Amino acid sequence: MRRFIADIGPAAALAMESCVHCGRCAEACQFYVQTNDPRYTPIHKIAPLKQAYERELGPFAFVYRLFGLAPQVTAKELESWQALIYDSCNMCGRCSLICPMAIDIADLVERARHGLFEAGLVPADYLGALAEKEQATGSPYGLTQAQFRDMLHDIGLKHGVVMHVDEAKADIIPTVSSIDLKMFPASMAAIARILNHMGVSWTFRTDGFDADNAALTAGDRAGQRKITLGIIRAALACGARTVVMPECGHAFTEMRWEAANSFGQALPFRVVQITELLAEGLSDGRIRVNPGVGERATYHDACQLSRRGGASAAPRLILRALGVDLREMGDAGDANWCCGGGGGVALVKRAQPLRDLAFQIKRRQVEATGAGTVYTSCSGCRQTLEHGGKTANWTSTVASLLERVADTLAHNQKD
Amino acid sequence: MPEDHRMPDHTETLGAALVRHGIGRRDLLRFALAMTASLALPPGIAPVMAENLARAKRRSVIWLSIQDCTGCLEALLQSSSPTLESIIFDFISLDYQETLMAAAGSTADRMLWDAVAANKGEYLLAIDGSIPVKDGGVYALTGGRSTVGIVEALAADAKAVLAIGTCAAYGGIPKAYPNPTGAVGVEDLISGTPIVNIPGCPPMPDVLSGILVYFISFGRLPALDERKRPLAYYGTTIHDRCYRRSFYDRGQFAQSFDDDGARQGWCLFELGCKGPITHNACASLKWGGGTSFPIESGHGCLGCAEPNFWDAGSFYTSLAGGSPTGWQNASMAAAVGLAGGAAAALLARDKADPDPEETPP
Amino acid sequence: MTLLEFARGPALQASALIMIAGMAWRMAGILLLRRRPQYAASRHSLARRMGGGASLILSRFIPRRTFWPRIAVGVMLSAVFHLGLALVFFGGAPHILLVHQATGLIWPNLPKGLIVMASGLTLAAMIALIVRRRLHPVLRLLSTADDYVSWLLVFLPVLTGILLSGEAIGDYGSLLTLHILSVEALMIWLPFGKLMHSVLVFAGRWTMGVTFARKGAAT
Ligand code: SF4
Ligand code: SF4
Repeated sequence: MRRFIADIGPAAALAMESCVHCGRCAEACQFYVQTNDPRYTPIHKIAPLKQAYERELGPFAFVYRLFGLAPQVTAKELESWQALIYDSCNMCGRCSLICPMAIDIADLVERARHGLFEAGLVPADYLGALAEKEQATGSPYGLTQAQFRDMLHDIGLKHGVVMHVDEAKADIIPTVSSIDLKMFPASMAAIARILNHMGVSWTFRTDGFDADNAALTAGDRAGQRKITLGIIRAALACGARTVVMPECGHAFTEMRWEAANSFGQALPFRVVQITELLAEGLSDGRIRVNPGVGERATYHDACQLSRRGGASAAPRLILRALGVDLREMGDAGDANWCCGGGGGVALVKRAQPLRDLAFQIKRRQVEATGAGTVYTSCSGCRQTLEHGGKTANWTSTVASLLERVADTLAHNQKD
Repeated sequence: MPEDHRMPDHTETLGAALVRHGIGRRDLLRFALAMTASLALPPGIAPVMAENLARAKRRSVIWLSIQDCTGCLEALLQSSSPTLESIIFDFISLDYQETLMAAAGSTADRMLWDAVAANKGEYLLAIDGSIPVKDGGVYALTGGRSTVGIVEALAADAKAVLAIGTCAAYGGIPKAYPNPTGAVGVEDLISGTPIVNIPGCPPMPDVLSGILVYFISFGRLPALDERKRPLAYYGTTIHDRCYRRSFYDRGQFAQSFDDDGARQGWCLFELGCKGPITHNACASLKWGGGTSFPIESGHGCLGCAEPNFWDAGSFYTSLAGGSPTGWQNASMAAAVGLAGGAAAALLARDKADPDPEETPP
Repeated sequence: MTLLEFARGPALQASALIMIAGMAWRMAGILLLRRRPQYAASRHSLARRMGGGASLILSRFIPRRTFWPRIAVGVMLSAVFHLGLALVFFGGAPHILLVHQATGLIWPNLPKGLIVMASGLTLAAMIALIVRRRLHPVLRLLSTADDYVSWLLVFLPVLTGILLSGEAIGDYGSLLTLHILSVEALMIWLPFGKLMHSVLVFAGRWTMGVTFARKGAAT
């Protein structure tokens, strides 16, 4: 069970030591709130991790071992915990917001997944997703470089936009998420259009493009770093000054906050999420849009971008610039409710009933705004919301903020 | 106290003796009433007590002073101007008291054993001072004989033993750390004979007279608590009866002996008053003929009537505060803790994963 | 040596030393684990990050408005309990004196009536909390022996303290002895169980505050 407790430093140890069993975290978590099942209490989900920590790492570990207070976590126990750790946590960190002891439970869940992954207990769906990519293509992205190149050119042709692919030097490297590749290719056209509009030097790199990083939520630390380092190398190779993260929450978390640590030094370029780039461009005039009037919409925060990423302001600035009549949901911004699919839960098929339950909260919230459109900046959220909307006979449409900006660009120059 | 040192007449009744002093029956009754109050007896018993007192014969009392400072005796002698109590003290037949008796040496010794022989089983044995038992009891000898043996012999034939003062009751100051003489109280040495502890350093004279009056009137000892103290006097604490109690209840405490609170008569708890754990009658009977008691004169109770009061920390340390843990000890403890925790953390570091940088993708 | 002397003397010393050593041990064992350098570019300066730590320490005392409807009961009970305990500990004259003698620090005390009232409320809140712990499914699931031991070891000093203040049953000396002994039991247990949260809460909140400020997230 070594892997379980790997990489635990003072912050995680503090989190592990502090819980006062007050139960508040349950009241912040959509899975408990919607089911009233105590097993969905956030801190309970990481119980095996805590047990392993107490046994192996804690300041009084020797006492725990001596008196058998924290027995070795058995494979069987772990197995029984799999569903809790993978199916019923979005790593959304809402519980981390309520905890009076400021325990970052979402972070602990990520660590718990490391342990389960090492023990071979990652849900089959995940393995499927990961292995499929690797085996089918020999690349962790599920596409070979050549396939990706062809795909991009096709998209460019189809959408009438000039694509920059694998250029030797470029200032800006946009990345994409595998969900975009599969479901929302228009978003790649959108980013190309906007970057062209801005008149910057940019290029897609087929040697580092898929930032989605399912390995992170799977708990596959090696895979996670492999993908991340791939992107870093690609950016270094063309001397990029900015790497743009796509509309994807976990991709941003990984690249913005973790990549440099995997790399072992500060990154020589900056990492921004696409909304941050758009907001910047709109503010400094490099992006000009034709604002509309009276579009009534709401915005769904991706947890990793708002609560956990500090990028709540950018999308709102964009929506203002677009002239959208923004009707905020309750708890918008830092305390938002997850769509229900975050943290890879969307990947696990058997979690669907649970996911749908969680989605009810979102649905109520969106309906309360009376908005016709829900914008979001995470294709994971987008996919989950669309899916949930379909099952719930939703009348609102779900849309990408990026695509919305691309569609509204003021056309006074060649793209 | 005795002005004439001839052997007293054991047949004279107390009533007759009082008449000799010009004290009549009504005075005696008033005295008996006061005594019943002091002894916490029902007042209806006063006439009986007066009657019994009037008829009472002299009682032989043998008084041994061992490891004492004479403070107890002094307090009793200085108790007050001639009162009924003092006459009753006079009335008892103090057959042996080394400090007071004129006789000395072998004469005194002979008087002692004569009195014992004459009153076998009837006399009261009063002891002040503790008894040193270490090294065969060599630290207090009378006529070359260890007082340990003398006390044992005298107690065996006594009707009861009165352990007067904290030393006789519990060992007192001689027993304080490091107790070089192995001092003990009477109850540690004697069994088989009833013992009355009258602790206090010194004990209150009124308490002794109360016990004597009771004993003389009823021929037995008053009710005692589990520490063999007369319940009537030791049943409550100083704190229970303290006139500053209302300040305690309001949380108004003097912080030093000359601050505003002290001047306004606030509670002395924080200045180390031991009243809350001290069982004695000072706060109600008071000293100097009902004049005052330590707290009334501005100083906390020392707790002198409790066992081991001398070793119970500073007189000026509040009951709430224990002996403070020195900074030195505290830092030592912190250092030990830090070292242990650091060792645990370092061991744990080894268990943690190697740095990701070390396992290139 | 009477029990009271033992309680006030060697026992107090020993339990204070155990508490200090235990707390130092536990904190060192946590804080000296390998710390990974953070290479990701921070959104905020070091000063703002520290500010974030401080701000989160404060802000977590009162839950966000949105959470209240679901947690009000627990929060209020725990608030009464914690505030009551703080009032009694920091406002009670004998307690101040104890701290004064141990450290030299001193501050004015509150009237005894108020202290007695606060301890009464504390006691009531504690009873409600333990009942709730037994009844609420989430709390039942989370609770371990630690929770009950810690509860008891806080409950006893409060209870004996109240009895002591009124000298309701028994005399001052024996009640004081029980009170002191119960506090010592608490002190000895403090570093090893959940009561340690009295220290960890600050370290934990600080850590999260700094991390969140680094990311520009709300503290
Ligand atoms: S991170 Fe989100 S989904 Fe996971 S336990 Fe916490 S609140 Fe629930
Ligand atoms: S809210 Fe925090 S302290 Fe309370 S039970 Fe959950 S993790 Fe533990």
